[in-house]
Amino acid sequence: MIPDSLRKELAARVREAITPREAAVDIMKELQRHSGWLTDEGVEVAAELLGLSPLQVEELATFYEMIYRRPVGKQVIHLCDSISCWCMGGERIMEQLREKLGVEPGGTTTDGRFTLIPCACLGNCGEGPTMMVGDTLHGRLTPEEVNDILCAA
Amino acid sequence: MPGLIIDDIPVEVPAGTTVIEAARSVGIWIPHFCYHPALGSVGACRLCAVKLLDGPVKGIQMSCMLPVQEGMVVSTTDAEAQAMRRNVIEWLMINHPHDCPVCDEGGECTLQDYTIAGGHGLRRYDGKKRTYHNQELGPHIQHEMNRCIHCYRCVRFYQEQAGGTDFGVMGSGARVYFGRFKEGALDSPFSGNLVDVCPTGVFTDKTSRFRARYWDYDMAPSLCPGCSLGCNITPVARYRELLKIKARRNDGVNGWFICDRGRFGGREVNDPARPRAPRVDGVDVPWDQALDTFVLRLGELLATHGAGSLALVGSPRLPLEGQLLLARLAEIVSPGNVCWFTTAGEARGVLAALETLPPEGVASLADVRGAGCVVILGVDLLAEAPMMALAVRQAWRNGAKVYVMGISEWTFGSFLGISVTPVSSLDEVPPAERVKPVLIGNSRDLPSARVDEKLWGGARVALLQSGPNAVGAALLSVDHDGASLEELLASGRIKGVVAVEADIPGSWLAGIPFVAALDWRQTETVAVAQLLLPTTSWLEMDGTFINYEGRAQRFLKVMNPGIPLRGLDPTLHPPRIHRSVPPGGDLRPAWRLLAHLVERLGGRSPESPFTGRWERLRDLHPEGEGIMVYTHGSDSSEGGG
Repeated sequence: MIPDSLRKELAARVREAITPREAAVDIMKELQRHSGWLTDEGVEVAAELLGLSPLQVEELATFYEMIYRRPVGKQVIHLCDSISCWCMGGERIMEQLREKLGVEPGGTTTDGRFTLIPCACLGNCGEGPTMMVGDTLHGRLTPEEVNDILCAA
Repeated sequence: MPGLIIDDIPVEVPAGTTVIEAARSVGIWIPHFCYHPALGSVGACRLCAVKLLDGPVKGIQMSCMLPVQEGMVVSTTDAEAQAMRRNVIEWLMINHPHDCPVCDEGGECTLQDYTIAGGHGLRRYDGKKRTYHNQELGPHIQHEMNRCIHCYRCVRFYQEQAGGTDFGVMGSGARVYFGRFKEGALDSPFSGNLVDVCPTGVFTDKTSRFRARYWDYDMAPSLCPGCSLGCNITPVARYRELLKIKARRNDGVNGWFICDRGRFGGREVNDPARPRAPRVDGVDVPWDQALDTFVLRLGELLATHGAGSLALVGSPRLPLEGQLLLARLAEIVSPGNVCWFTTAGEARGVLAALETLPPEGVASLADVRGAGCVVILGVDLLAEAPMMALAVRQAWRNGAKVYVMGISEWTFGSFLGISVTPVSSLDEVPPAERVKPVLIGNSRDLPSARVDEKLWGGARVALLQSGPNAVGAALLSVDHDGASLEELLASGRIKGVVAVEADIPGSWLAGIPFVAALDWRQTETVAVAQLLLPTTSWLEMDGTFINYEGRAQRFLKVMNPGIPLRGLDPTLHPPRIHRSVPPGGDLRPAWRLLAHLVERLGGRSPESPFTGRWERLRDLHPEGEGIMVYTHGSDSSEGGG
């Protein structure tokens, strides 16, 4: 359930935007922060707040990689599999994460801590291989660092 | 006008034309999936590749995305361009299921045609195919996303052209999905066009699912009888059953699309209870006996009550041929007692509509689409003539201001996704905004359609009428001084009524000793008639309708009449008696029956129903833009062409 207090706060943000549509990503991220992922209810609430149809919100939600339309773990690991990171050994990092977490790409660990998602480019091409854990970006990854990051996360 | 050369043919086209359109203008068809003349270019499918050999741009280019420039030399047959197109098809087929044998699109599938044309037969890619879950999209549209080639035509039609907000494209990259947020029937009253625009079998007509293959269809150019707009359609029939209806392009009228009411409605033609045999006093009789009885009883009636006692009633849904022959029959048996409208109000409205149009004349749907200012005068277009609403949306998309008077602007605007301004009178529309104005009203409430010509110079008017051939009925009413049945009955002299495809309330006919009905529908009038002569529906005959703007258009026979094979009593099939017509198929067009009666009653029946000023409609071609038989000031001036 989306609480009324959150709805009111989000409605205020929509009012501040020049056009409601430009507030869409912001609203979706807030709703995601609240539920852990963007639930169906979240899409409908966003649509109502933004004056769009649920489909129009869904079009945006499913376009963006970091809006999750399915339940995810507490931390989401985005590992870049685009060309620069791949050249720098991204594949090896993926293997390591699969083994360590015991999940396939797209999966969530049984303890619900991590979800592993490959993605195409985190905008950190000069620092490959790159992954993002939660909101933190990690570049020039080495296998040791990956272990440390996971332990600390 | 830039000049270019396409496959050695010099072409000159207006600036802004794309190469694919320029090629089409000289008869060169460049294969394409995503480009659509009504939806524009997006460059999504990559199939329309051509090679530019010389000029300002060189190399492989997408012809739908490339505006023509002076000096271009284009080759569609260049080996490199052909290889590109061949590879694009192979690539699109990587994920496409090989389910053509169980796909309703098979045989009328653009992807199937181009796959064969491109010579792709052996699969080289051995990876897994991308698959999707389908959605239940309501009673009309079948969804099969695995077949999708991501051309975006459906979403461009649904959202841009029709203003729908419940269907769209989700996801990104190679995983896009065309559908709804949640399963459910599509909201748009134009959703059926998804079937027409989809180049493969993602959206197929659920109402005719698994019923027939393209090469078995009975098809002919026809017209929608649903309202007075005269949208062009291609009905599809098999075994005497109307299976589905497709839109047929006519740039002057409906463009490329039709509404769902026209597409999925109007299945009375398949009704097994349709009048199928002549009937006298509730008993089926042979044609000869029915016609003899008709002539006999008519003679008795006229002998007993005199010439003014018989009313002949046509209708706005009766094709022009029948309307004309009705007038001829009236001249012989009951001069002055013929009408083409049932109620007085309807007759007054349609007749007055012909008088009130401004000198510049009527607005065609094309005029509405190109209007700069649209005022809707109290008519709910989505309920009465949905394609007019779609035309208004196109005008709005091109920058036109839309004003509404006397209807809920919220309902109208939000349903079409356009912004409209409510006004309480025409004067409230700012004079500065009356650019290429079009007024849309209904013949029912004429006063509101009267316009001050000084203020509204150049305004065109579209007045919706009460039926697909109401203007035909009105023109004949003027010629023959016809009023309405209501008025004829009010005189108290009417003792007999001949109703030709006319919908007369049963109660009106209660005290009338002689009622004959010629109809193909099981109506109230048919139910009370002592004498019934069954006629063919508009799908079972050639005919002519005159739409609201006075555009005469021809429709051709689509199928043979008869009880549809489906629904036929199994004991009747296969037939165990020799017969030359299928069961229930001995029906005749109303105008032929009327012509026969004219001869029986001492008149001379013309070879063609079109004589005198109607003669030029004889060779009216069903695939042209039609002939304008009515424009303001003179109902015989030439237009359209």
